Amino acid sequence: MLPTGNCTFRATGIVKPSERERVSLVDALMSATKGRTSSFTRNVLSASSSQTPGIKCGPNGTFFVSSGISDLDKILGGGIPLGSLVMVMEDAEAPHHMLLLRNFMSQGLVQDQPLLYASPSKDPRGFLGTLPCPSSKDDKLRNHDPEQEKGLRIAWQYKKYFGENQQSFDGHRGSKQEFCNDFDLRKPLERHFFSGQRVDCVSVKDSPNLVALQDRCTTFLAQFRRNDGSISSVGRIAIQSLCAPQCTHSNMEWDVLSFISYLKSMLWSANAVAVVTFPPSLLSESFCKRWQHMADILLSVRAILDDDKELAKLLTGYQDMVGFLNVHKVARTNTQVPLILEATTFSIKLQKRRFLVLECLNQAPIDGSSGASYGTSGSCSGSSKTGTLEF
Amino acid sequence: MAESICRTLRDGSLEGEHAPALTIKDTAASPFGFDVFAYVLSQLSSFILAGKSQSRVVVVVAFTRSPSFYVDLLKRRGLDVTSFHKWIQILDCYTDPLGWKGKLVESGNAMCISDEASSVTHLCKDVRDLDNLYSLILELGKGLAGQGKAHFSVAIDSVNEMLRHASLSRVAGLLSNLRSHDQISCIYWLLHSDLHEVRVTSSVEYMSSMVANVEPLNPSASGQRWDSENVSLLKQNFQKGKLNVRFKRRNGRVRLMCEEFHIEQSGINFTPVSSEDGTINQGLLPKVQFSLQLSEKEQTERAKVLLPFEHQGNGKPIQIYDGRRSLEDNKNEATLASTGNLQRNEASGEGEIIYFRDSDDERPDSDEDPDDDLDI
Repeated sequence: MLPTGNCTFRATGIVKPSERERVSLVDALMSATKGRTSSFTRNVLSASSSQTPGIKCGPNGTFFVSSGISDLDKILGGGIPLGSLVMVMEDAEAPHHMLLLRNFMSQGLVQDQPLLYASPSKDPRGFLGTLPCPSSKDDKLRNHDPEQEKGLRIAWQYKKYFGENQQSFDGHRGSKQEFCNDFDLRKPLERHFFSGQRVDCVSVKDSPNLVALQDRCTTFLAQFRRNDGSISSVGRIAIQSLCAPQCTHSNMEWDVLSFISYLKSMLWSANAVAVVTFPPSLLSESFCKRWQHMADILLSVRAILDDDKELAKLLTGYQDMVGFLNVHKVARTNTQVPLILEATTFSIKLQKRRFLVLECLNQAPIDGSSGASYGTSGSCSGSSKTGTLEF
Repeated sequence: MAESICRTLRDGSLEGEHAPALTIKDTAASPFGFDVFAYVLSQLSSFILAGKSQSRVVVVVAFTRSPSFYVDLLKRRGLDVTSFHKWIQILDCYTDPLGWKGKLVESGNAMCISDEASSVTHLCKDVRDLDNLYSLILELGKGLAGQGKAHFSVAIDSVNEMLRHASLSRVAGLLSNLRSHDQISCIYWLLHSDLHEVRVTSSVEYMSSMVANVEPLNPSASGQRWDSENVSLLKQNFQKGKLNVRFKRRNGRVRLMCEEFHIEQSGINFTPVSSEDGTINQGLLPKVQFSLQLSEKEQTERAKVLLPFEHQGNGKPIQIYDGRRSLEDNKNEATLASTGNLQRNEASGEGEIIYFRDSDDERPDSDEDPDDDLDI
């Protein structure tokens, strides 16, 4: 059972992120970024890309849509399976869930997938202006500058370079519409993508209950009824900050739960995915637990402290990090085999302040003057907050 | 650091962004939230007068103090009274929040506000109607700042009072509406966090971009009985405290800052934190689960340990030279040792073991590098 974000039990042997900003480093240290999928999966990518852009065939007869962040797609095993509900647990102190939402929404719009967006603000359409634009290949330099040194090159923490090799393999496919675009967060999405009827916006702020939102979801999802034929189009639902304090429904816990279970059942019979973000710190614990259980894919984002010297000493690349992403649950449909991730905590970085990147945590080398070697202290040390590490 | 809060509020919001919002939070253990609020108000007012801030007008929503109090407060800070009507408006929710005085038969002249204050005051008779409150705030702000792009800031005396009369979702809705309004450049409010459930406090913090927590200097002292030691600590809490601020930065990181403050007659003074209790230097040793140092007791125990080569196996005590003995004994010992060794030699017929115990003065990682002796 994968640990959840807010529960208070302590399981020995499984380390979960603690309530504070410190992160448990053990699973991060035991992780490796796996760039390749197993050699036994059939490569059907070329077949499906011609049918409908934005949909990829996955194992066990599932289809994936992209989350808009290529790193997240890799972590989730290919993308978001059709018909699943993604829940993102917000951190009250950081807007990182908005980054995830923006990429998700932009990806759908770029691939001509209709979108329903609900938010607690009075004018949800205003948010569409902040959606990022896919970057052109020219400004995107994923590789490090190849400084061809004649001498010895040492790849420190070499596992982070695996992903770059993968990138070059995928690029040669040459299809116009990629499964997952790279979004430049500084460039806004061109207006023609969301000016038409493709985007439906709902404000949940002033409505007395969730009935209106539920009706909108029903009518929206009716367009994507799943039948045994081919998939004609795929829909995306993005609900931002459900149960935010300024909404009237934030007091109506059971109504919100029944809305979520309704949404989930509608999604199962539709070719659509939904991403819902909510602030768990503002909800009662039992309520929060129920939400988490309802999710097919459960993620949480956490803020990090600025100028945290201890964290800077422990992790490399701390300066570029803006937050942490924890993956608590990954959906696996049509199979009983769970997906066990090698790492569940990732750092959210903005490369060149434009591109959202998720990286595994790498521990910085211990200060050499203490005399302890990197290997031994690496496996034994960890955040003192977790406490129940057993070796 | 209180300076940096004021500067952030002064600089206001960028185009298309929500206005920065400050929550000043205090508890009964350190009830100086209002002093901090008054400080922020007077600082921002002086910025407005000097023309340095994005907002040109401040609207004070007064729930717990009368408008004349605010006028006097600003006068005491040295701000010019005559110009008040140009840049400050006070929404009076203190005098008659529920409209009861109007219903009394012998109401007479219910307003006991000074003349100076009355020119900038506007009475609100129903604080339960938050939509009305919202439109009043906007009206006052726009009235003075103008309809165009000019900004104004809003200071709310006490969110607790608002929560008395309206539900959390209505209050949170009002705050978020204010934050998202184009013409509001910054907004700040006071909240006494022990008057409400945790959920309420965290919802209000969720709505804000900076949280300033007023805490007692000695938190452990505040709950206990009045011993002689505690009294002096408690007395410290009466005048001093700590201000912990959490800034939510635009890039998603959280900045923590801490300062001490001291309440005086003239107001509140902020000083940087004196003691180092926050960040403890862990030293260069990594955090490992076994200890690398020996305690005193362990060191004496170690000195007492009888090493294998130091006894003959037949119960006799140490008969070899070890560097700690004094010179006089040495001679005796040396003779004994040599005889002992000779005995052993005869007995075993094999090589000798001449054991010199290490000197205890030598530390494990001494500065001498044994490799220095090598001559390669």
